[in-house]
Amino acid sequence: MARLRSATDLGKKRQSILSRRDPSKPCVTICSGTGCHALRSDQVAEAFSREISSNGLRAKVDIRRTGCHGFCERGPIVVIFPEETCYLGIKPEDVPEIVSTTLVKKQLVERLLYKDAEGKKVALEGEIPFYKHQRRMVFGSNRLIDPKSIDDYIALGGYSALAKALFEMSPEEVLQTVKQANLRGRGGGGFPAGVKWETTRNAPGDIKYVIVNADEGDPGAFMDRSLLEGNPHSVIEGLIIGAYAIGSREGYVYVRQEYPLAVSNLTVALKQAHGYGLLGKNILGSGFDFDVIIHRGAGAFVSGESSALMTAIEGIVGEPRPKYIRTAVSGIREKPSNLNNVETWANIPLIIDKGAGWFTSIGTEGSKGTKIFSLVGKVNNTGLVEVPMGMTLREIIYDIGGGIRQGKKFKAVQTGGPSGGCLPESLLDLPVDFDALTEAGSMMGSGGMIVMDEDNCMVDVARYFTEFLADESCGKCIPCRAGTEQMVTILNRICDGEGESGDIELLEEISEVVQDASLCALGQTAPNPVLSTIKYFRDEYVAHIEQKRCPAKVCKALISYYIDPEKCTACGICLRNCPVEAISGGKNLVHVIDQDKCTKCNTCFEVCPTRFDAVVKISGEPVPAAVPSGTEMVRKKGKQE
Amino acid sequence: MARGNARSRSRKGSSSRGARGASKTAPVKKARGIKGIDNPLSESVLVSVSDKLGIPVSQISHVVETIGEVAQEASDTDEIVKEYKADKSALIQILLEIQRQSRWLPQDVLMSVCEKLGIPLSRAYRIATFYKAFSLIPQGRHHLSVCMGTACHVRGAPRLLDRVIDAIDIKPGETSPDEKFTLETVNCLGCCALGPVIVLDGDYHSNPSPKELEKLVTACD
Repeated sequence: MARLRSATDLGKKRQSILSRRDPSKPCVTICSGTGCHALRSDQVAEAFSREISSNGLRAKVDIRRTGCHGFCERGPIVVIFPEETCYLGIKPEDVPEIVSTTLVKKQLVERLLYKDAEGKKVALEGEIPFYKHQRRMVFGSNRLIDPKSIDDYIALGGYSALAKALFEMSPEEVLQTVKQANLRGRGGGGFPAGVKWETTRNAPGDIKYVIVNADEGDPGAFMDRSLLEGNPHSVIEGLIIGAYAIGSREGYVYVRQEYPLAVSNLTVALKQAHGYGLLGKNILGSGFDFDVIIHRGAGAFVSGESSALMTAIEGIVGEPRPKYIRTAVSGIREKPSNLNNVETWANIPLIIDKGAGWFTSIGTEGSKGTKIFSLVGKVNNTGLVEVPMGMTLREIIYDIGGGIRQGKKFKAVQTGGPSGGCLPESLLDLPVDFDALTEAGSMMGSGGMIVMDEDNCMVDVARYFTEFLADESCGKCIPCRAGTEQMVTILNRICDGEGESGDIELLEEISEVVQDASLCALGQTAPNPVLSTIKYFRDEYVAHIEQKRCPAKVCKALISYYIDPEKCTACGICLRNCPVEAISGGKNLVHVIDQDKCTKCNTCFEVCPTRFDAVVKISGEPVPAAVPSGTEMVRKKGKQE
Repeated sequence: MARGNARSRSRKGSSSRGARGASKTAPVKKARGIKGIDNPLSESVLVSVSDKLGIPVSQISHVVETIGEVAQEASDTDEIVKEYKADKSALIQILLEIQRQSRWLPQDVLMSVCEKLGIPLSRAYRIATFYKAFSLIPQGRHHLSVCMGTACHVRGAPRLLDRVIDAIDIKPGETSPDEKFTLETVNCLGCCALGPVIVLDGDYHSNPSPKELEKLVTACD
């Protein structure tokens, strides 16, 4: 691999890569992100490789394994260029037909196309509603790049922003551009990146660090991983540009060891960047030196907090420390250290390349650019979506997400990760940006967006998040350690049907203390799930406490299962599947659940065929008495009528 | 930096420790790096040592094998520490590497790492108990993770966890007495479209029913 010694060398390199590529040559891209990988996309890729060879098309068709495309719900995803025909849910056995029909005969395999609600088929990726309403400027390149190939990235213009920064701009100009773009931190805080950079740049000392925070600990969020896995060079390029602006020669990427593919793709990418002279000494012949070290995180949510993360990089337990002096001034080994999230860094090359004016033309007054969200939960189209700031929750959930699964009713959307809040239906038209979400009692966080429907209990959800945070609290400061624990105790009590009047007020009171007195952001935001659910779903708390009723029929202690004798056809399915043998009955005998034996595992409810719908969940009312002995014969009215 | 993945040597399972007592009659394995046992000892040497010391051959093989394993472990640890240039601030990275290879952190290994880095043992223990990635007890042969991330939670992960507990009869964080399974819960695997999801030895399974679980579990040896 020849080192590139100037911006001209980089330009020539790009030309030479492009000259070897024919844009009209068919290329089969197979999504190999974690979601598709879990659905065995590697077998699909192998099948393509075999099938293309055996059809003698090896020289005529390229195969590329790319990072995450985002439409995880319908994986494994295959897109065939140059037409960009998109096939969804591909199994290895579909591959021969795709090769013979699409690659050989240039026809569509209709059955594998996207079908909209009316049954209309959509062939092109960009026209599928899930993609059509997005604006994928940061995440969009994922589908075009083999993450293990730096040439793929350079072919798309990669590292040209770095060359521009190094040769056409002074570090101050780079800094000013990022400041003017008003890029706010994508990791949760929303602090303006340019201002943070400036603080580190102006802090005294020669040694300064720049850090990528890829300790994505929020359950239900995976955009950072998908970026790092799918397009690692965009993050590295952003980091080098930042280092140049700040005056840093050493950088870290703090990445969770639970993301092995991200670690390995990043390792390859760093090595390639080194080989091309884009990292190390005298980058592109500019005289600027910079290097990057990977630090793998060992699994602690609190270590994603900036001061905790920096402590962990020093090899000490990753607990937060008081930030009387900002980490931007005194971070790793007490040196000025600038930390930004993966997505923030990936925005930098775009801003340098296209200018602050272009960037600020997208988004809302206070939040510029786009944001990647992981849209998950009870939504039809689970996946990663990138939209301009200011799009409403309704547009994201319904137009892109395709609405709620199984035609159920929307109840809430939780944004901002465990420390975010739950927003009700009345706020669906809220434009999503940093300030609007905070005002509504939630937050942007790193961009998790979990959709809940009528079957989700909001008290249970609040308990889930608070339990998570109590578990992840490092215990260093008392308000967080003891406060979250007490809140879990109270929430457990409420879910167990032992809630007392005054519990809601007590929760609010503890919340206030935890918010005000905790050391780091984990504690300061820990009460958000409780406070936002009390604010918008107070009636559910009241039902649990006063009527001992769980309206969504989730909390085990407050629900019972029983079989409606009018509907039961004595088919025996629930009886056979009950793991604790709590169901009695026989041929032509109405099945009955023994309430003492029942563990409320929900199995009978799930297995009872929908056409019978005989198993009923009830809450807050007594279980109807069993049919008197002797009359429990199934009345076969269905057949007689 | 190619640190994390530079080494592709096959990892040693925890079973090598557990098997010490059970394999007394097994042939003497090659023990690397210890003077005198560089090569497998021949039958005649063993018999002659056995005669001189008045100890049965099987016991000698066992001792030699144990020395070999301990030496191997020590040299593995050495290599990892060396790879990170015996840098104190790389402690977490070193422990992660040991955990990856051995699937747990044995006490003697921790002691040897701390000695080499010149740090108190308490620091290694603090890290080993703070982070989720580390285990201070041997792990089972089969690893089962149940995702308890938010997306899985709202789609019924708690009920799935109950089913898994029923199926393998251990609680999260436990290893079965026969070291067959280790069960753990994780907070998001990032394949939310499959939720609720479990991962058994690296394979993902979306919301398996009790019957499917039983099948998966019985397929493990």
